[in-house]
Amino acid sequence: MNAIECTSLTKTYLRKKVLNEISFTIEENKIIGLIGRNGVGKTTLLKVIAGFIKETSGELKVFGNHPFNNLHASVNTIFVDDQMSFPPALQLHELLEAAQAFYPNWDMELAQRLFNYFGFEPKHYHNTLSKGRTSTFNMIVGLSSRCPLTIFDEPTTGMDEAVRHDFYRALLKDYIAHPRTIVISSHHLNEVEDLLEDVLLLKNGKVKLHMPISELKEWAVGLKGSSALVRQWAEGREMIYQQYIGQDTMLAVVRNDFTDEEIQRVRRDQIEVLPVRASDLCVYLTNDTKGGIDDVFSDR
Amino acid sequence: MHYDTREEAATIFNHDGTKPIYMQIAEWLETEILNDHFKSDEKVYSQYQLAEMFTINPATAAKGLNLLADEKILYKKRGLGMFVTANAREAILMKRKSGTLKHLIQELVLEASRLQVSEGELIEMIKAARNEEGKE
Repeated sequence: MNAIECTSLTKTYLRKKVLNEISFTIEENKIIGLIGRNGVGKTTLLKVIAGFIKETSGELKVFGNHPFNNLHASVNTIFVDDQMSFPPALQLHELLEAAQAFYPNWDMELAQRLFNYFGFEPKHYHNTLSKGRTSTFNMIVGLSSRCPLTIFDEPTTGMDEAVRHDFYRALLKDYIAHPRTIVISSHHLNEVEDLLEDVLLLKNGKVKLHMPISELKEWAVGLKGSSALVRQWAEGREMIYQQYIGQDTMLAVVRNDFTDEEIQRVRRDQIEVLPVRASDLCVYLTNDTKGGIDDVFSDR
Repeated sequence: MHYDTREEAATIFNHDGTKPIYMQIAEWLETEILNDHFKSDEKVYSQYQLAEMFTINPATAAKGLNLLADEKILYKKRGLGMFVTANAREAILMKRKSGTLKHLIQELVLEASRLQVSEGELIEMIKAARNEEGKE
């Protein structure tokens, strides 16, 4: 079964199309990474999926239902970010009890264990927590709800490194024990990539890529060598990134459709064949120029 | 207590992108078999055990296991898990010979041509190296 089905989804803010006819499908019980640059529409997409805001046009189904203004969606979905609003009059332990009353799969034992592990005080209030502690508490609510669709929007904002790694491990362990659909948006792809099954990459309000993370690593390849030869090999292939180094050295990142035999010939031309990290590839793919920041400073 | 298993995994796996994690999982299991930690017809770790050990997605771990099944190093018993085949050792040794050694020879030939060393000279150098090896 599909958790999310999205067809020609568009969301317009002040006449600007933040999401421009997006179509994709997310299968149930997978961990998906939503990746994209700042302001590309990640949060908007996640909020539409969670039913917080209404799409402008297009079709969206979450577990077969249209999520906006839908009780079925809100009881089966949790949206976690650092701005989750909780009643300011309730203490932290009362917030956990309130969440238990709302989410049918809520695991109070898990919530209490995480609460104690991270050293929270039951009688404290949510609006007095620091940035990192807010994210940590919200993450506890997100995991303990065990919602069939769990959405984490930049969940690690403000968390220190030890807490981030604890969170990734807690997420994975609880996912193995209780599989569910989890969507994580993050700027730190290199930190979360091992947790993910698929990656959904947004650019300019469109889906640029949607594929298993393992394929993403072999999707592109870097060629480094004398510029004439590198250009020759890159010709006819999709150029993803290019950079000039020193007198006559060029690094080109291109689509990897090379056969083993071609790779041998590339090497014989004294060109280094380099793997491309998934996180670097995503940065290259979402750049508007092929040379990145260097283009700003060149040809002046 | 903060016990960071991820740190441990990081020492086994490199995240510099040289190899996809599922291949590194497969290679780690191969080494475990070569070190006799798993013998013929013994059950290896499940995808979920591997996922938890290394904090990786279970689908990635499964891909590593399936890679070894495709290479006849592991076999599947329906509902029971993955087991080591009788000739897993030989298969791994063969694979590493034809893979690693072949790659090294290609590098050697390439470097020789860069330095304009002729084929005859190169073969002489290999023979000399083999003689050195024999003396020890």
